[in-house]
Formats: sequence, structure tokens, C-alpha cells
Amino acid sequence: MSAAHPSGKARRPLSPRLVALASFPLLMTVAACGAASDNGDAGSAAEGGENGKLVVWDWKSGDAAAQAYFETARADFAEKHPGVELEFVAQPFDNYYQLLGTAIESGSGPDVVLFNGGAQMRERISALAPLDDMLGDTKERLTGWEAFQAEGTTYAVPITLQGLPFYYNKAVYEQAGLDPEAPPATYEELEAVCTAIAETGQDCFSLGNKEGIGIEFHLSTYGAGVFSAEQYDAWLAGDRDWTSPEVKQLFQLWVDQHEAGWYNDGVNSTAKFMDEYTKFQGGDSAHVIGLISDVAHWKSFDEFLGEDLGVFKPPVVTDQGSSFLPAEGGIGYAVTEWTADPELAYDAVESLSSTAALTDFYVEAGAIASDTTIDTSGAGIATVGDIVSWLPESKPLLHSALSAETLELMHRLSQQLIDGGVTVDDALQQLAATDQ
Amino acid sequence: MPVLLVAPAVLVVVALRIVPLVMGANYSLTGDGADNGAFVGLANYRTLLDDPVFRTALRNVGLLLVALPVAVSVPGILATFLFLRVPGHRLYRSVYFFPVVLSPVIIGAIFNVVLSFDGPANQLLVRLGMQPVDWLGDGSIAMLTVIAVHIWATFGMALVIFMAGFATVDQSLLDAARVDGANLPQTVWHVIIPELSQTIQFVFVTTMIGMLTGMFGLLYIMTAGGPGGATYLPELYIWVQQGQMNRPALASAASMVLFVFMLVVGFAQLRIIKRATKEV
Repeated sequence: MSAAHPSGKARRPLSPRLVALASFPLLMTVAACGAASDNGDAGSAAEGGENGKLVVWDWKSGDAAAQAYFETARADFAEKHPGVELEFVAQPFDNYYQLLGTAIESGSGPDVVLFNGGAQMRERISALAPLDDMLGDTKERLTGWEAFQAEGTTYAVPITLQGLPFYYNKAVYEQAGLDPEAPPATYEELEAVCTAIAETGQDCFSLGNKEGIGIEFHLSTYGAGVFSAEQYDAWLAGDRDWTSPEVKQLFQLWVDQHEAGWYNDGVNSTAKFMDEYTKFQGGDSAHVIGLISDVAHWKSFDEFLGEDLGVFKPPVVTDQGSSFLPAEGGIGYAVTEWTADPELAYDAVESLSSTAALTDFYVEAGAIASDTTIDTSGAGIATVGDIVSWLPESKPLLHSALSAETLELMHRLSQQLIDGGVTVDDALQQLAATDQ
Repeated sequence: MPVLLVAPAVLVVVALRIVPLVMGANYSLTGDGADNGAFVGLANYRTLLDDPVFRTALRNVGLLLVALPVAVSVPGILATFLFLRVPGHRLYRSVYFFPVVLSPVIIGAIFNVVLSFDGPANQLLVRLGMQPVDWLGDGSIAMLTVIAVHIWATFGMALVIFMAGFATVDQSLLDAARVDGANLPQTVWHVIIPELSQTIQFVFVTTMIGMLTGMFGLLYIMTAGGPGGATYLPELYIWVQQGQMNRPALASAASMVLFVFMLVVGFAQLRIIKRATKEV
């Protein structure tokens, strides 16, 4: 739309678009200061404490099975601080770290935050308060701290342990003519089991790799069976040789297992949570690599499979490998650095990790709690006894030592390895480049 | 004071558009993590160029542009049938519009079930003696699948615009064509398409905007960028870098690239709309 000049002669005014475009680079250069993330040096939000309310973010408080846990924690905190209300905000897990990222950038939001152990927390320690000076006796009472520490400093208090056992369906073993009480202990035995199960027409394993998380479970379980104890510890300590024969063997196993038909069809379009586990619960497959807390664990499988549910430790693959349950701190609470009163916020964390609250979490939700003083002998489910007995010799998960960037790349490469878009050597080269 | 009268509008535009834009441009020149706040020049843009996922995202934008003629011709052809009053046209008119009122999240969830490997679509293929297809798990076709679902979900709106365009077609021209003995393809080619040229241009523009800005929900639900990063679009990339990877400065740089791209597309659209509405 251009108006004619009053003189009757159309005059072309300087286009606003041209002005905007011309001034754009100038604006960019002049404005090149400041930061995309909040530096957090100024105590920006003063929500916690001052107005008598502490905000806790999690993805659990909406879960019916966890209600008893939250009520006990709330009551414990109310006793210590009657004037302060504990407000739980349940966020959807799918978006949890995106939402948290937004809160961190603005330098305001929740006072106490639930985290998964490992990379997700370590990437965000600049937004968290160090807790070591406040821990006291809690340090002895709970286990699983490594997953919530970075460079020797503790940033969150573990409330559950997370581990990766192999669950199996004894009924499928019987159909295949296998001894349901003798699960495989070595990789060769597992191969024999899968061959026998293939003849019944069922899948040896259920697997969903739509999000690429399947490779994390693969790496952290078979890794124990492939690596020597020294290699395992070196990996966790950050000394990782992606071109070593052992790492190559681990990723080759991922490809070989697919080519051998161990898994259901459409792995890359099947969601791990929960389609993979729904298949296993429905009796469609013999095995699944599951968890010990939160979801996809002994308690949820027991509801469907009952006495047919069995569990075993990852198999030994090489002569130098060993068999143990990879496990570490699962989820834990951290205090944000912007909270007005960190000690008050830590008191909320202490209530959320009290023995009474964690006992409720174990009994009602089936979480393996980080509290070593809880008695787990009365669960009435055989598999939990096995899992708890393996915990003392467990080691942290291999994939938890990796950065979010490396994990994200590994997710993508795991899908490309399945559909042939990349070779094992190429994939390992790319992973080595990001894991500096 | 005419300046005062435009002040509210100017303030809104400056506060909600220009300031965030300048801040975004500024952030894109700073670092992430340990370099937070430090000026890093064009390092983020170099990272983007080196990132195969971002390159895939841009390639997929190109794929969207290639799919545009299909997204426009589907409602165009169906609207023509409705205009020619095929049997049951009243029913079809409502049915075609129905998906438009559904949210992308619901559509994504429905198609996740329909297109899953053991879902109804593949069961049908197997019954017809064909091989099942991993619609969302095969990197070479997953993006096409999501685009097809997006077209299905949104063509109803374009159809309504076409129907409105048809209402303006000069009946006497159609009658003249019939008297002259024109068959259906000739009528469509020589009468309907020239008469509808402005509508077609408008639908092109609105469909392009819809494709470039409205696919995030579907992608997020159906593939989340997978498999192997094959279905990334710039918006999803920005979202992942900002939230999941905790790299807001890199996300800002990706946003600026998307902004410049949209600026070019936007100017092209403005030009087309101006021509279509004969506003010179």
C-alpha cells in the first residue's frame, strides 16, 4: 500500500524494511553483551521462605502410588516449620528438563528440584547450591551419592537407587523347553536361550528405541560383562577410549543382536516408556532390560506376570568381564542457588529423604530407596530380594558418566546403527569427538 | 499529538518483538556453559553449520517447500469435486473439515497408534500381501510420513478457502464452456483455475506459513526428531538445544537463522499477497 504524494507525483519514501535490515547488524554488534543464561550472581528470586512457601518441582507428586510418600514428607516438614507451606508442582516428565531449563535461564522458579542422577544434574550444577556442609548424618544413612556429585561436591540427596537388571518371563522359558530357574549367566548362554526362544516365534527381548534410550541400557548392562574392572572404573573416571576393542565389541553387539532377530520389529518407532515394557508385561517376549525403581520395575511387572517373573544380572561376555548389577543413585532432590534461604530448602530435602517417607515410597511405589536402614524382607515378591542382595557389589551406570551432548549423539547413532545409516567405526569416531 | 496515538502500538511491538529479537541476536554471539556471557563472535553459527542435525533440519525445511504443491493441490482437487456436487458432497464437506479442529497432539497420538509397526495400517498392508513399513522408524520415510499427516490434519482449512473462491467463479463462463462442448478437464484447466488464481496464490501462502510454523507439535509427539535425527526441523532443534542440552546461546543462533529464513519467505509472501489482491 503506497500513498501518492500530495503534489501528485509519487515519491518513494525510504522503506522501513530497508532501514530495519540496514540497522540490524549494527544492533547485533552494539548489543553483544550479556548472557543467554542467567549468571545467577544476584540472588534474583526471593520466593522461598519469605512468603512462607517453598516450591518443589518434580514429576512424581501427581502419581497416585507416591501419595503416601509425599504426605509423610509434608507432615515431617510441617512439624519442623509450621509456618512454611511446601508446594509440590508435578511437571510432565517428557518436558521436565526443558521447563527446568527455562526456569534456570530466568534465575527464578522452584526452591527444591527433583533430578535424575548423572548428566541431567551435572549439566546444571551452576544453578544448584552445594549441600556438603548441610548433610550431617544423612551422608551415612543414604547411599547412591556418586550420581549426584560433580568434582567432589554434592548437589542433590538421593532418595532412590536406580539399576538395570534383566527381567525374564519364566512361562516363555518353559514354552521354549528351557529351565525357568536357570537364567543365563554368560553371553553364550544368553545366545542359546534366544535361539531356543526364536523357535517358539516369540521375541527374545522387547525393545523400544524411539527416543534412542535403548542404547543407554545396552551400554550399561553389557558393559559390565565386557570391560575389565579397571576399564570399567577408568570409564567412570572420565578416561574413555572409544576406539578400544571392548567398546567396539559393545556397539557391535547392539548391531549383531538386531541382525540376529533378538528384538521386536519396529524398534526405532517403539517407545521405550512404556510400549517396550507393555510388550514384556503382555507376555510377547522373554526378556526386557528394566529398572529397579520408578517405573518398569519388579513391582509393576509382578502385577502382570506374578510368579512367572524372574530376574538376573547382566551376563558375562568376555573372559575379563564380570557380572554385577549396574546401579547408582536414581532420583534425588537438589536446592536451587537462587532460593532465599538454602537451609530452609535443605530442611525440605531432608523431610523428603527421611526414613519414614522413603519407607512409604518403597512400600507403596515399589522404589528401591537409597536408605540402607529400610527393611525390604517383607515385600513378598521374590525378585526384590535378589535385587537388594546384589546392591552391595553394584557399580554406577556407564552411561551416567557421559555428558548430555554425548548421550544425545549416542541416541541418534543407535538408531542409525539399526537402520544401517552408520557403521560401528563411524559411530565410535563421532562419539569420541564429542566426549572430550 | 499523532505520535501519542501510535505510541501504544509502537510500545507493544518494541517490547514484545524488537527487544526480544535484539536480545536473541545478542545471545547468539555469546557462549554457553563455561563461556556463558562471553562474546564468542560467530562461533555458534559455525557450530550450527558443522552440526549434521541442524543441516538435516534445514534440508527438511526444503522438503516442506517441495511438498507444498501437494499440500495445495489436495484441498484444491477435493474442493473442485465438492463444487461439482459429487454425490454426498454435503457429508464430505463436514468430514474434510473435521481434522482441523483437533489439536496436533491428539492427531499425533492417533497416528502413532495407526502407524506403529504392529498397528492397523501395517495390518492392512500385510492383508493385501505387502510388506509392513516402519512408517515412523525408518529414517528415509519418517519425515514424509509426518508431512503427510500434517497435510491430512490441515487441508480442511485450505478447502474452506477454496470453497469460498469457487463461490466467486462466474457462472456464465461455466455455462459458456458447457455450450462450447468443453469436457471436465478442459473446464477445470481453462475456466476454473484462471478464475481461482488469486485464491490459489493465497492458499499457497497460508499453507506455507502453516508448514513452516505449525509442525512442531506433530513432530514432537510422533518422532521427537528421530530416527537418527532424520525428522528435525529448526524449531525442534531450538527447543532441544535450549532445554535438553542447556545451550541457550546456540539455540539463539539457530533462532536467528530461522528468523532470517522466515524474513525472506515472509517478504516473498507479502509480494505474492499484494499481487494476488492487486494492491499496488
